Amino acid sequence: MTDELPRRLVNHLKAAGVNFVTYLPETRLSQIVPLIGDDPAFDLIAAASEQEAVAIAAGATLGGKQAAVYMENSGLYVSSYSLLALGKQLGVPLLLIVGYLGGVPDQRNSFLYATIGSHTIPLLQSLGIEYMLLEDGARLEGKIKDAVRAANAQRAPFALLFAGEFSV
Amino acid sequence: MIRHECLELLAARMTDQLVVTSQSGQRIEWAHLSKHEGNLLVGMMGCAIGVATGLALALPHRKVIALDSDGSVLLSLFNLATLGNLRPKNLLVYVFDNGVYSGSRISYPTATAGRTDLAAMARGAGIESARTISDLDTFKAEGLGALERNELGFFICKVEESLLHREIPRPNTDLAENKYTFVRYLERTEGKTIPFIGRG
Repeated sequence: MTDELPRRLVNHLKAAGVNFVTYLPETRLSQIVPLIGDDPAFDLIAAASEQEAVAIAAGATLGGKQAAVYMENSGLYVSSYSLLALGKQLGVPLLLIVGYLGGVPDQRNSFLYATIGSHTIPLLQSLGIEYMLLEDGARLEGKIKDAVRAANAQRAPFALLFAGEFSV
Repeated sequence: MIRHECLELLAARMTDQLVVTSQSGQRIEWAHLSKHEGNLLVGMMGCAIGVATGLALALPHRKVIALDSDGSVLLSLFNLATLGNLRPKNLLVYVFDNGVYSGSRISYPTATAGRTDLAAMARGAGIESARTISDLDTFKAEGLGALERNELGFFICKVEESLLHREIPRPNTDLAENKYTFVRYLERTEGKTIPFIGRG
């Protein structure tokens, strides 16, 4: 990412009301982690598995936080059980901030990521999780607000898939 | 001791604590023993500790209790490392370890029936206070005593397998109904609006 995008992304998360973030770091968006950690508007919680990151964020949401989970798209496979049971079955809104590795717009795509990437959107579709693909910083604040509003309205997870300029 | 005896003692001590159960016989037993609005009966294994941790972090002034099982903790061992580092002071975890997958109907043994010691694993993960409780007197003294302390509690309660939960009526509360009851209870007792509820 350019120097400007991580700061904008974090500021827009805050503007959208997000105040609790669980995460496992990955390569494409990792610059947001120290920015979130340094901002007192957020609780930043490191998890040891994406399944756990989803469960902790779900608990925080039920406790009154506007929670997000930051992960690599490989974490969607790891956490699909808790996304389905807590996100969809129990109906807990969560913003998923996903580094979309291995998709066509991933600027660092390679044989390492392509299989994971090519199954990501079908996986979300099979889980019934709506998503938005972000390839540049255009209307970033509005898109993040749209995603948070959609998650709350649907009482379900909503995924933002970051690729393109975010993956440089 | 059996799990139901422990839960009966615990239920008698409940006031405004929040209780998260995983999916197992204890979910049925707890729902039968406690009709408290602060109960969240999560319908899956491997998530109760995570959800309870999130609640404890979001509401640090509120005591949160996770009721879990050996099979469920074995599904989510990563929770131990995370709790060992976060150490939320308002969280109590009771793991009822009967050494079997009772829900399997064949009582197939879990790893704790063999060489695996969950309390030792928890201590190794950073939860130094984790301990095993094997009798009801110790459960009363130390397990329930933790309700009065302001520190992370992690108790592996070794219980005999009991099939009492198969004789108890299963809860008929829908998951969504339970969620809204729980959230409305929080709104009322915390004096705040839970953001995602919103207005229609």
